[in-house]
Amino acid sequence: MAHRKTNGSKIFMTVLYMVAACRAVAINDLLDRASERSDIMHSLSTTLSHDLDSQFPPIGRVMPRPSMCHTASLQTPIDKYQALQVSESDLLSLARSLLQAWEDPLAVLSTSANTLPHPAQSSISNKIQELQEHSKNLGDGLDILSGKMGPAAQTIASLPYRGGNDIGDDRISKLINFNFLLSCFRRDSHKIDSFLKILRCRAAKMQPEMC
Amino acid sequence: MMKKAVEVILLLLLFFTPHTMGKRYSPPGKPALTRCRSPEKETFTCWWEPGSDGGLPTTHALYYRKESSEKVYECPDYHTAGENSCFFNKNDTSIWINYNITVVATNTLGSAFSDPVDVDVVYIVKPNPPEKQTVTVMEDKGWPFLRVSWEPPQKADTRSGWITLIYELRVKLEEENEWEMHLAGHQKTFNIFSVQSGGKYLVEVRCKPDHGFWSEWSSTSYIKVPDYFHREKSVWILLTIFSAFIFLILTWLLHMNSRSLKNCILPPVPGPKIKGFDKQLLKNGKSDEIFSALMVSNFPPTTSSNYEDFLVEYLEVYVPMEQELMQEESKDLHGGSLKCERSTSDSDSGRGSCDSHTLLMDKCGEAKEEGRHTDRESGRRLTEAQRHQKGWEEDTLTYAHGDMVSPDMSNGRVKTWPSVFSPLPRYSSNPLDEQSSLEMAKQHCLSQPGHSTKEALGPSNWDLCLGNKQPHLLHPQTQVGRQLQAHSEVNISSIGRKQAPAGLQSPALRSTEYVEVQRVNKEDLVLLQPVVNAATTGCGRIEGYPPMPKEKDYSKVKGVDSDNMLLLQREVMEEDWCPGVDQEINGVTGNCYTSSTVSNTHKPTACIHTAIPVQANMALAMNGYVDTATMCTLPTC
Repeated sequence: MAHRKTNGSKIFMTVLYMVAACRAVAINDLLDRASERSDIMHSLSTTLSHDLDSQFPPIGRVMPRPSMCHTASLQTPIDKYQALQVSESDLLSLARSLLQAWEDPLAVLSTSANTLPHPAQSSISNKIQELQEHSKNLGDGLDILSGKMGPAAQTIASLPYRGGNDIGDDRISKLINFNFLLSCFRRDSHKIDSFLKILRCRAAKMQPEMC
Repeated sequence: MMKKAVEVILLLLLFFTPHTMGKRYSPPGKPALTRCRSPEKETFTCWWEPGSDGGLPTTHALYYRKESSEKVYECPDYHTAGENSCFFNKNDTSIWINYNITVVATNTLGSAFSDPVDVDVVYIVKPNPPEKQTVTVMEDKGWPFLRVSWEPPQKADTRSGWITLIYELRVKLEEENEWEMHLAGHQKTFNIFSVQSGGKYLVEVRCKPDHGFWSEWSSTSYIKVPDYFHREKSVWILLTIFSAFIFLILTWLLHMNSRSLKNCILPPVPGPKIKGFDKQLLKNGKSDEIFSALMVSNFPPTTSSNYEDFLVEYLEVYVPMEQELMQEESKDLHGGSLKCERSTSDSDSGRGSCDSHTLLMDKCGEAKEEGRHTDRESGRRLTEAQRHQKGWEEDTLTYAHGDMVSPDMSNGRVKTWPSVFSPLPRYSSNPLDEQSSLEMAKQHCLSQPGHSTKEALGPSNWDLCLGNKQPHLLHPQTQVGRQLQAHSEVNISSIGRKQAPAGLQSPALRSTEYVEVQRVNKEDLVLLQPVVNAATTGCGRIEGYPPMPKEKDYSKVKGVDSDNMLLLQREVMEEDWCPGVDQEINGVTGNCYTSSTVSNTHKPTACIHTAIPVQANMALAMNGYVDTATMCTLPTC
């Protein structure tokens, strides 16, 4: 009994010490991780788009305009000058809003991918699932980040997806809608990635080699 | 004048018309947008490929439309980027917006529209190559390496994080064909190790944005690594010296142990060890000689079928030098041929004496002992055999004169028939004839000196050594091949154990009886059988084979003491003595010496002068016999 007690107290002391000794992960580290994950996410979406386009009939392709993305209403900088003007909190807010806006559509994409009339359907389906995972992880990370960056970062614009679960009836429309959604996501993931990398560079004053 | 002008014009028209008549004018071909690129995500340029111009001057125009509006704009700058290009400056460039770009070719006959292309600037980023590239040679613990450093392209804004670049460089030697690629990540310096001394290297760097295209390779940097030859060479020199040193040591070791190694690796082939066999015969290659040398005419003995069973190798019998000749052979070779080996010979004229080392002490039947002495005897035996082959006469002469005195006479080896020491009354003379045959025949146990001549002698030589005292003992009959009959009693093995001096009691026998050796069994036991008493003693046996053992001189063995000393007593019997022999015996009394087999010291045995009657302590039965000749002049008597 005495042995156990000493063991228990030892463990407790160790944990306490570790908690006290451990600093919270620095913001720049958090940003670094976040930007890495967003980078992966965007790369994955790019790969997906290429997979889809390879099989897509080039002729007769009627692309819905990207301005019709459900996130188009969100005001984002359109050039470098504007982007560098945005505050960090706003940048983070934008990133989080975009990420949040894609939570539902990704699920729609995932279910649609199961029945997608495409030769690389299984690969696409797997990648969609990965995208979902990355998105969720990034969202959690950004939530933690926002807690450190002030109240303005907490604002998340609501960008509901109104496309419903069905992306089409016939094969062509299914493919077209899937492709369209995916392109919207690709752009938005690029935005997120860019914002986070700008934030990272701003936070890494101590590490100029990063930027 | 007017008319002339019109004519000239018409003529000119006629001239020019054929030139223009061959071409067909057509609307321009369809141009195509080849690529659009943005070096820094702030501006971008599009290039197109014009189609056929249709023979007419064609103009191209680029129109674009942004995705959010329907307004069509024309390319603001056709020249900055070169021909067939359109440059969009910062003001005209928006990101995250699709540009719908179309190129139109126009000539007088028509125009052609290219396929529209949707371009998003963020997806077409291809930066400029890295700049300010430097390569230097640096040293790390004596080993050189290259350090390459560069700067991102000037236009790319990596400071603000607008663009994130990763770098890659490639290196190769000047004479090589393939580049060695290295991914440098975000860093702007890189170290290249494992460079050759004295090599000339080419280094190039390029970069890529995180979601864009690789830039072109930067301009090549040349670098020459200085010679570090001496360092590498010194290592080699040390290695060479060290290995040479080790090699020398190994050679020396091998040389020192060459013999043992030779024996280990290549063990010597055992040669033939047939005693008495002349290897030269083999080398000569004459099979007849070889086989004749191997053959003994009288061997195997035909008189007894048991002779083939003889397995005894050596029965060591000491034969005094002069007594060797006596094997005469008178010995009928009936009986087993006990081959005793004469270990040493003395010069006591064959009569034997107390101090003669011919006194047999050892058990003849122990092959081991024989084996021990074999090597020592082999030489001697060999010589003996050779000599015997020459002829008895010569040999005996030599023998008699001590030629055969063994150098180790003093070693006191006394060999005997074990039976001799037994209390059995029997005695036997064991003349062993030397056989010219190789093996054990060598042993000549001359049982008694003067077999042939001393049949009249009472005490005769006990010891089985051949004692050739006199030349006349050399009988012509003593040829090679005669077998000496060993008349020994019973168990040889049992004999040696008996140490009681009372070994001579065999009360049963009152007169001498003889036994002959039937055979030697496997335990080195000499099996004896009584001989039909043909003892008709007589002096006239000199010339012939003395069949009767009792014509020989025997000395009675009193016993064997604890020191394995043979205690002898002179036989009292005189009735069997031939006078002549007696004299002979007397004659040889001079050369007496004693020896004991066990110890090299002279030990007293029952020593009796030849003329001295039996001593008190020798109140033994007359069955033990000792060579009286050997009993005289015992210093310790």
